[in-house]
Amino acid sequence: MKYFIKKIITLIITLLFISLLTFTAFSVIPGDAAVSKLGVDASPEAIARVRAEYELDQPVLTRYVHWLEKALHGDFGQSYKYDTMTVTQLLQSRLPVTILLAVMAFIIIIVVSLPLGMLSARYAGKWVDMLINQVTQITMAIPSFFLGIILTVIFGLVLKVFQPGGYVSMEEDMKGCIEYLILPAVAVALPKIAMVVKYLRNSVLSEMKKDYVRTAYSKGNSVNQVLYGHVLRNALIPVITFVAMVAAEILAGSLVIEQVFSIPGMGRLMITSISTRDYPVVQAAVLYITSIVVIINFLVDILYQLADPRVRTA
Amino acid sequence: MDKELLKIENLTIGFPTKNGIHTVVDHVNLEVGKGEIVGIVGESGSGKSMTSLAVMGLLSEEAQVSEGSIRLNGQELLGMSREERRKIQGKNMSMIFQEPMTSLNPVMKIGAQVGESLKLHTDLDKETIRGRVIEALASVGLRNPELLVDQYPHEISGGMRQRVMIAMAIINHPDLIIADEPTTALDVTVQAQILNLLKKIHKDTGSSILFISHDLNVIKEVCQKVVVMYKGVIVERGDAKEVLKHPKHEYTRKLVASMPDQVQKVQNTKKLLEVQNLNVYYKENKKLFSSKDKRKHIIHDMSFDLYEGEILGVVGESGCGKSTLAKTIVGLNREYDGKLEMDHLKPQMVFQDPFSSLNPARKIGWILEEPLKLKGIKDKKQRKEMVDQMLTEIGLDSSFANRYARELSGGQRQRISIGLSLMRGEKLIIADEPVSALDVTVQSQILRLLLKLHDEKNLTYMFISHDLNVVHHMCHRVIVMYLGRIVEMADVDELYDHPCHPYTRMLFDSILTDEEKETTDSVTVNEILPDEAAGEGGCPFYGRCRYAGENCLREVPTLTDIGTPGHPHLVRCERIEYGEKYTAAD
Amino acid sequence: MKKHNYSLIIGLILTGIILIITIIGQFWTPYDITGMNSMAKNQAPSLMHLMGTDNFGRDVFSRVMNGCGTTFFVAVSTVVIGCVFGTIIGALTGFYGGLLDEIVMRINDVLLSFPSVLLVLIFISFIGTGKYKIIVALGVMFIPSFARIVRSEVIRYKSQEFVRSAQVMGAGNLRIIFVHILPNTVVSMLTAAAIGFNNAVLAEASMSYLGLGVQPPDPSLGRMLSEAQAYIFTAPWYAIWPGVVIVLIILGFSQISEGLRAISD
Repeated sequence: MKYFIKKIITLIITLLFISLLTFTAFSVIPGDAAVSKLGVDASPEAIARVRAEYELDQPVLTRYVHWLEKALHGDFGQSYKYDTMTVTQLLQSRLPVTILLAVMAFIIIIVVSLPLGMLSARYAGKWVDMLINQVTQITMAIPSFFLGIILTVIFGLVLKVFQPGGYVSMEEDMKGCIEYLILPAVAVALPKIAMVVKYLRNSVLSEMKKDYVRTAYSKGNSVNQVLYGHVLRNALIPVITFVAMVAAEILAGSLVIEQVFSIPGMGRLMITSISTRDYPVVQAAVLYITSIVVIINFLVDILYQLADPRVRTA
Repeated sequence: MDKELLKIENLTIGFPTKNGIHTVVDHVNLEVGKGEIVGIVGESGSGKSMTSLAVMGLLSEEAQVSEGSIRLNGQELLGMSREERRKIQGKNMSMIFQEPMTSLNPVMKIGAQVGESLKLHTDLDKETIRGRVIEALASVGLRNPELLVDQYPHEISGGMRQRVMIAMAIINHPDLIIADEPTTALDVTVQAQILNLLKKIHKDTGSSILFISHDLNVIKEVCQKVVVMYKGVIVERGDAKEVLKHPKHEYTRKLVASMPDQVQKVQNTKKLLEVQNLNVYYKENKKLFSSKDKRKHIIHDMSFDLYEGEILGVVGESGCGKSTLAKTIVGLNREYDGKLEMDHLKPQMVFQDPFSSLNPARKIGWILEEPLKLKGIKDKKQRKEMVDQMLTEIGLDSSFANRYARELSGGQRQRISIGLSLMRGEKLIIADEPVSALDVTVQSQILRLLLKLHDEKNLTYMFISHDLNVVHHMCHRVIVMYLGRIVEMADVDELYDHPCHPYTRMLFDSILTDEEKETTDSVTVNEILPDEAAGEGGCPFYGRCRYAGENCLREVPTLTDIGTPGHPHLVRCERIEYGEKYTAAD
Repeated sequence: MKKHNYSLIIGLILTGIILIITIIGQFWTPYDITGMNSMAKNQAPSLMHLMGTDNFGRDVFSRVMNGCGTTFFVAVSTVVIGCVFGTIIGALTGFYGGLLDEIVMRINDVLLSFPSVLLVLIFISFIGTGKYKIIVALGVMFIPSFARIVRSEVIRYKSQEFVRSAQVMGAGNLRIIFVHILPNTVVSMLTAAAIGFNNAVLAEASMSYLGLGVQPPDPSLGRMLSEAQAYIFTAPWYAIWPGVVIVLIILGFSQISEGLRAISD
């Protein structure tokens, strides 16, 4: 229990630390924020006004504290670019679809890679394993956005079942949205499937060499009984931490794939706001994504504790 | 219909290699009768483990059985289908393995593991199985079996884990139990308990046991019949005591008579090392979020001297602090207070593990040159010459300088380790279990080498070992350590003739010497760990001591000298008796 | 019968071919890479133009050759930065341990829990885009994973007796770390470097694809892909070839690292 509380405190401290870090980092970027908002031709008075409005003359820490206060209330300020929308509104409109995409990719990964990994390990060295090995090697070498392009060509040009750019938003038609997202999710998932399959296979194989497996056989267990009753749990433990990394990578992958399929999610938002130096947006986006990653790691850590009794008692 | 339980005929097992088939078991014939305990003794590479794995049906896929038959209860095992084999494994025969920590599933509860053979081979329901598991755990001498059932392997000690393994092996009342080096990984005193347990099980259940070991004394203690294997072949067989007392085959003779002659006495010489009131601590690394530095107090108030030319033996079991003492003397551990004085010496060390003590990424020549480089000898040619000379002195030729450690055998590596410790020219060498990891026949070679170098170069050794037999032959004087303290110290003959401290007596009790002993009926039921036994402020041995009295709890006893002038015999006990030769009746 | 290390051989051959083409591409290409030829717009691959032409009539093959150069340059620089600093940090924290190790490792863990693309994105949003900025971003991003591998190797060897032996002989700590321990870690380091190389190639391609990486006039395979996307249905070769080349580069190195791992087993 004490460990649990310690972990939560670490979590909060990490989040605060990161927000401070991103905030200060953005403050030291060369280039005047006011100028980038108004344009180079703006008058000195206009610039001064904007500077006052955004408190750009105050010391960094004061600005941070003010920002934090507002942030905790969900107010991330106004976007530089999209004058009519607050940052919060922007995020709210973009975040859900990215999350949906990431979740779909995650499900695909888990559903496909666990059986494939076990299969590969069970028949290690035989043709099934070698085939899976070759395919995963190749798949891992393909950047996911390129995969997206290829899939677009195959399903759009050749098979004509897919219309690139035909994004349907969730509010309009949930089913249609999900249908459109399948291909992008696959593009994100495929390279990661390869990694998880490889990792799981290796984990299972290295467990199979251990002494307790020999003991299990000596009691009369069959190969499948040993694999599923004894080895699987041991082999999955290191995979759990790996999956955390994969989850975070999916999030990143989703950001890039949005560009390929013209999906209006966080990815597109981040890219445009970075290019246009729309700092409040970038700041908030970075914070959101960072938080999600940190929270994922936290959850995985807890999961790891539950899974491995050796760690529990420590 | 065989009258024997297990009949192995002409068994031949080989492994395909790039040079053809490498035969590891060569036309082996072996029988185990009903209710018999048969031992297979041999060193590494003898084929003893392979034979047992073949019987059990656990050979790896690469192993090929080219000839022979293995029959259990008349039924042929080789050539059986997997499913048929599985019906027998865990039911008619079971196996106990060497390493209890790794042989148990770390994420599975003990109860589940012990009860698994019942689950696989019987129709009993969960409740009944649980009951049988608790029974089995109790029968092997484990305390609180109802609690143990829900615990995990890492939560209990090595000796307890081995008992769990035994419980797992006997729970389904097999006809044959195969025990593969079941006590090798355990402390000497625990070893004795486990062997007693096996004998008890044999008596109670009538199961046959096929007992595999490299340790002659263990075999003699437990087995009725023995078979000696060397390079895949059985070289001798017969009644256990008879074969080991009067070996006929050359190899068996080598195996039995492995000790060098005893060392000569040492005259009065100057003091090389003086230790007084030494307290050594082990500091754990600072961690974030932890309370103050945790320091474990390993060695308590230790005092002794070491004289030039001596070989001082240090014996004790794991946790007694002998390794920590060694590390402190050579400078690897700076966390100590008290006096540790050496006269301009930088003592060198010979390490226990021949496999990790040599840098795998470097050639032997480079490794041997390193102490010379560090000493400041810049001339390459000179260094090479010194290396060649050392190689000769340790019995290897100069071609070894170009090899890597992985190309060498255990014995050869240990020779290099010894040579390495001498390159600097230091006179004080700490040898930490230098032969424990080696085969018995190789051990004697290395011990002889150590003695030869000792005489030639007038060296002084501190010889650490858990093996009392080796210490008896190698050392002039002996210190017995327990939980970081000297509990007894005397000249070697004096100690072996008159062991006085209760712990020393317990150690001697546990070692299975060449002496004829009456087998005791008593079975030590519950193993008590040293930490638990430490009385508050009193004698640390209190909890395990047969002679303990009320006074023993008052304070830690001081060292009393019960020897003669010039030959001190120190004992740390309130109740010592300078008795006659210690017999089993005490 | 010794099994040949197919992975290593295939990897070396593949990488070798690509490297040769790349190096040639630095000095000579079949066509001028900027040479636009409106007559030859969007032509499918032919003997004249091995990979076809793009919407400006430029020869795709030549541009790919050129783009590889950037890819290799960025990836190699990244690996060098990551390896040098990662080794120093990993070796020192692994060997000395203690409070410093704890702190550095926590920071490391936090950094590692972020996917590389995200980190680079964040970094870019601070320092801006361009070839050298990307190298800095990727290099810094590679340091934690390399440091962690070196650290765990050093820790693994630290408790081996040959290290104690060296200490007893009188070797100083730095000598032990760099002369005694590190030579044992070479295979792991090379494998990690190969993986890092691949990640760098992927990350650079992703960033350039998004327009946040290597900027014109520097050539980049990733950026070619983003330009090509608009023509995906009319001139698919424009997009496919650069992508395929990226895949081949990565495959080559991953085969090499597989081969290296097979050696160390």
